[in-house]
Amino acid sequence: MKAKAKTPVIELNNVSKYYYLGEDEVKAVRNINLKIYSQEYVSILGSSGSGKSTLMYLIGLLETPTSGQILVNGQDVSQLSDNALSHVRNQTIGFVFQSFNLINKMTVLENILLPVKYHLNHLNFNPYDRAQSLLKKFKLANRQQFFPNKISGGQQQRVAIARALIMNPKIILADEPTGNLDSKTGADILNLIESLNRDFKTTVIMVTHEHDVAMRAKTRIYIKDGQAVAKYL
Amino acid sequence: MNEIVLDAFRDFKRNRVRTILTSLGIMIGVLSVVLLIALGLGLKNYISNQFDKLGANLVIIFPGNVFKEGASFGPGFSGGAKFDEKDYQSLLKIKTADYVVPVYFKSIAIEADREKFLGYIQGVNEQIFPLMNLKIITGRAFGKTDVSKKSKIAVLGYTLAEKLFKDPKNALNRQITINNQRFRVIGVMEKSGDREMDTAAVMPYTTAFGRINPNKDFFALYLGVNNKDSVELLKTQIKTTLLKRYEEDDFSVAEQTEILSSINQIFSIINAVLIAIGSISLVVGGIGIMNIMYASVTERTKEVGIRRAIGATQKDILLQFLIEAVILSVLGGGVGLGLAGLIVLAVQPLFPAAINLTAVLIAFFVSAAIGIIFGVFPARRAAQLAPIEAIRYE
Repeated sequence: MKAKAKTPVIELNNVSKYYYLGEDEVKAVRNINLKIYSQEYVSILGSSGSGKSTLMYLIGLLETPTSGQILVNGQDVSQLSDNALSHVRNQTIGFVFQSFNLINKMTVLENILLPVKYHLNHLNFNPYDRAQSLLKKFKLANRQQFFPNKISGGQQQRVAIARALIMNPKIILADEPTGNLDSKTGADILNLIESLNRDFKTTVIMVTHEHDVAMRAKTRIYIKDGQAVAKYL
Repeated sequence: MNEIVLDAFRDFKRNRVRTILTSLGIMIGVLSVVLLIALGLGLKNYISNQFDKLGANLVIIFPGNVFKEGASFGPGFSGGAKFDEKDYQSLLKIKTADYVVPVYFKSIAIEADREKFLGYIQGVNEQIFPLMNLKIITGRAFGKTDVSKKSKIAVLGYTLAEKLFKDPKNALNRQITINNQRFRVIGVMEKSGDREMDTAAVMPYTTAFGRINPNKDFFALYLGVNNKDSVELLKTQIKTTLLKRYEEDDFSVAEQTEILSSINQIFSIINAVLIAIGSISLVVGGIGIMNIMYASVTERTKEVGIRRAIGATQKDILLQFLIEAVILSVLGGGVGLGLAGLIVLAVQPLFPAAINLTAVLIAFFVSAAIGIIFGVFPARRAAQLAPIEAIRYE
C-alpha cells in the first residue's frame, strides 16, 4: 500500500469498449475506472463473457478503447504513435496468454528471444545470457532447441512466461494462464507468476474466472457485464 | 537488416512447403511468359529464315502482270511475254546485275535404277548456285563451260537423289533418264527446305533446249545484286530493257520482299499474337502468384498478432514480409528465368526459339512486383489490426 503515493503504472479513466457482433452492439467494457500501482499483484475475476479479457487487452494496449483514457506510467496512450505503443508493449509489458501464443516454427530459445529483435539496437543486457538464465530457472534448459509442439503445455506456458520476462518488463499481464493446463501444472505456473511479483518486484495483473486462483492475488477486481462491480484489497 | 534476412532464410527452411509453393508460383509465372514469348519468337524466326534462304536481293521477272491479276505466279497462267534467249542476252547487258539467270521450270518424271520419281527440271545457268545460295554436298556444281557445251549433266536436289539412289552420295556419276535422254549426275545439293529445289534436277538451260524444252523459252528470269541498295535501280533498268520489246502488262518485275508482302502481314499478326500470348500468360501467372502469396501471408495473421503483442511495430512487420517477398520473388523469378533459358537452349537445335530481353524484363519485374505487393499487402493489413484481433484470426 505504500506504493500508492506514486503515479499508478496503469490508470483507466472511464474506459469503455464496444464492438459489433453482426448488428448487435456488445458492450464488453463499460466505464471502468482503475488504478494499478507498481509491484501490485492484481487479479481480475469474472465469469465467461464478463469482459475481463477485453479489459486486460485494453490494459495491455492490444486493443484501443471506444472511449475513455488509458494511462501507462502517467502517459495517455491514445496520444502515442504506433512506434511508441509498440515500444511500450516491448519494454514495459509482458504478456502471458491462455493459449500460450508461441510461434510454432521457432524453437523455444528463438521464441524467448523474439521480443529482443524489436529492440536490438538499444539493449543494455546480453539477451542470450538472460535467456539462458530464464531457461535454467524455468527448468527448460534441455528444451531450448525444441519446437513448442514437442513440449508439454506446462512447459509451453513457462516458455511464454520466459518470453514475457526477457525484456525485464515492469508489468506482467496474464490472461487465464492456467486455463489450458491441468490443476497440478496450473498450480506450478501460478507459483511461478507469484514469484515474479515477489522476487522480481514485477507488477502482475492476472485475469481468471476461478475464484480460488483470484484469491491468491493481494488485490482483486470483480468484473460483471463489463463493469467493475467490486474491488477487494 | 542482416538479422531480418537471416530470419527470412531460417523461416524458409522451417516452412519448406510454403516456401516452395510460393516461389513456384513466381517461377511458373516467369517461366511461362518467357518461354511462350521465346517459342513465339522462334516461330517467327523460323518463318523468317525460310524466306531469307531464298536470297534477299533477288529480283524475279515473270511473264504477264501478276500484280494486276492477283497472286498467280505459275508459268503460263498470266499470259503475256514468252521469254527467250534474246531477253536473257539483253538483260546480261545490265551492268548493275551481279547475277542473271534464265529459268526453265517443269514438272517431269525422272528415272534411274528402275526407280521413277516425279520431280522438276530446272534449266538454268551456273549463276543459280551462288544466287540462290545452293550448297553442294557431294560432287560439284556445273560451270560456264558446261552451259556453253550443252553438257548432258545434272545436279540433283537432295530429296530427289535420295529417292532415286537411296543414299545421295551414291548418285555421283550415275545416270538419270528424262524423256529418254540420259544425263550424268555430277553433284548433289544440300537439303534446302524448299521442296521444288530439293526434288529438282538442275541442268544447264542450253541442255534442256531440245527435247525437254523444244520452244526454248523461259518460265522466269532471276536477277540478283550483292548490294541491297541497288535493287531499286536494277528494277528500273530491267523495265527499261524489257519495255523495248514488250508492253507494260506483258511482264512483272518483282522483288522478293514484294512477292512476300503478304508474309509481312503475317509477321505483324504473329507479333500481335505474341504480345497477346505474353500478356495472357502474364495475367495468368500473376493471378497464381497473387493467390499463393495472399494465402500464405494471410495464414500468418496470428503470427503477426503475436509479434505485434511483444513489441513489433507496423514497420517491423512490413519490413519482415517485404524482405521475405523480395527474396522469394527474386529467387523464384531467377529459377524461372534459368529454366526458361535451359529449355530454350534444349529446343534450339530443332527450333530457333529465342529469349527476348524485353519479355524477360517485363515478366520478371511484373511477377516480382505482384509477388511483393501480394506478399506485403496482407501483412500490412494484419499489422494494422489491433494485435489481439490478429492473434484471434483463424
